[in-house]
Amino acid sequence: MRKLFVALMPLIAVAGINFGQQSAIKINNPWIRISAEGSNTALFFELVNNSDQPDTLFEAESDLAEVVEVHETYKRENDMMGMRRVKFVVIPPKSVVIFKPRDLHVMLIKLKKDMKENDKGVAILIFKNAGRIKLEAVVRNMPRMNN
Amino acid sequence: MKKRIGLFFLLIILLTISCGDNFPVIEDLGNTDYRLVDQYANETVFPDNIKGKIVIAGYIFTNCPDICPLTTNNMRLIQERLKGEGIEGVQFISISFDPDNDSPEVLKKFAEIRNLDLSNWTFLTGEKPVVDELMKHVGVLAVPGDSTVFPSGKVSYYYIHTDRIQLIDEEGKIRKNYPGSSINIDEIVNDVKQFVR
Repeated sequence: MRKLFVALMPLIAVAGINFGQQSAIKINNPWIRISAEGSNTALFFELVNNSDQPDTLFEAESDLAEVVEVHETYKRENDMMGMRRVKFVVIPPKSVVIFKPRDLHVMLIKLKKDMKENDKGVAILIFKNAGRIKLEAVVRNMPRMNN
Repeated sequence: MKKRIGLFFLLIILLTISCGDNFPVIEDLGNTDYRLVDQYANETVFPDNIKGKIVIAGYIFTNCPDICPLTTNNMRLIQERLKGEGIEGVQFISISFDPDNDSPEVLKKFAEIRNLDLSNWTFLTGEKPVVDELMKHVGVLAVPGDSTVFPSGKVSYYYIHTDRIQLIDEEGKIRKNYPGSSINIDEIVNDVKQFVR
C-alpha cells in the first residue's frame, strides 16, 4: 500500500493544477523576454475569460527564478518610468487582459539560468476561481514597439 | 551672376541644415571628462571616447525587467536600420546608472545574451559618484523605487528613471531626447541622416 502511495505521489502533487484545457480562463501567447542568469526578466501573455463571472489573478509561481511577482510598469511625469508590484489583477467576464511590455507582467526575479531565444519555461498562474493554471512560455527577443 | 550668387547662398543654407544645425543644443558634454569602464573592464573617458562620432546613447540598469530591455532593443533596431541603409560613423553607447550592480561582467553578459553587435556599441559603468554626476549632466534621473525581498533577506531595489535615448553630435553636444522604450525608429534614423556628412 505504501509503495502504491509513493508511486502515485507525482500524480497527487499535480492534481491541483489545471493545464488550461477546461478552465474558464485561457492563457494565450505566453512568452518570456530573453535574459541572463542572475538577472530579472518578464513573462507576458493574454488572459481570456470566457465565463460570465470575473476572475482574479493574485499570484504566480515558477522554478525559473528565485522570486516571482505580478508587476506593472507605470509612467510618471517628465518621461519617468517605474515599476511596482500589484496584489491582484481582475479579469472581467467575457474579456481579455493582456500582459505586455510597458504594462502588466509577471516578473521573474533573479533567474536561475540563462533564458536564451527559443528556450522554454514553465510557470503557474494562480486564480481565485480557475485555480492553478500551468503555462509553457517560449523565450523571445522583443518585438518592435513602434513604427 | 545674380542667379549664381543666389544658388551659392542656397547651397550654404542646405549644407548648414544638413549638418544638423536645426537641432538646438540641449547640453554640451564637450568640456567634461567622466572616467568610466566598458563591458571588457577597459578604462575609458566619456565623452572623449566618442568625439568625432555621432552617438546614440541609452541609459539603463540591467535589473530592469521592462523599460531598459525595450530601450536596448530599440537601439538594436536603430543600429540595424542604419547599417542596412549604409550609414556609417554612428556609435552606440549604453550607460548604466546602477553601477553597484552593473559591473563590466554583468554588462557584458547583458549584451551577449541578446546577441548584440558590439562592433560600434559600448556598454559603460563606473564609480557611483562619477556615474551620478554624469546622469545629472545628461538630464537622466534615477531614484530607487519598489523593492523585492529575497528569501535570504537581501533587498533589491528597482529604479524609477528617465526613459531616454539621446542623439549626441560629433562635438559631444546633446541635440535631441527621445523616449527610449517607445522611440519612433523612423524619426531618429531621419535625424541621424541630418548629422551625417
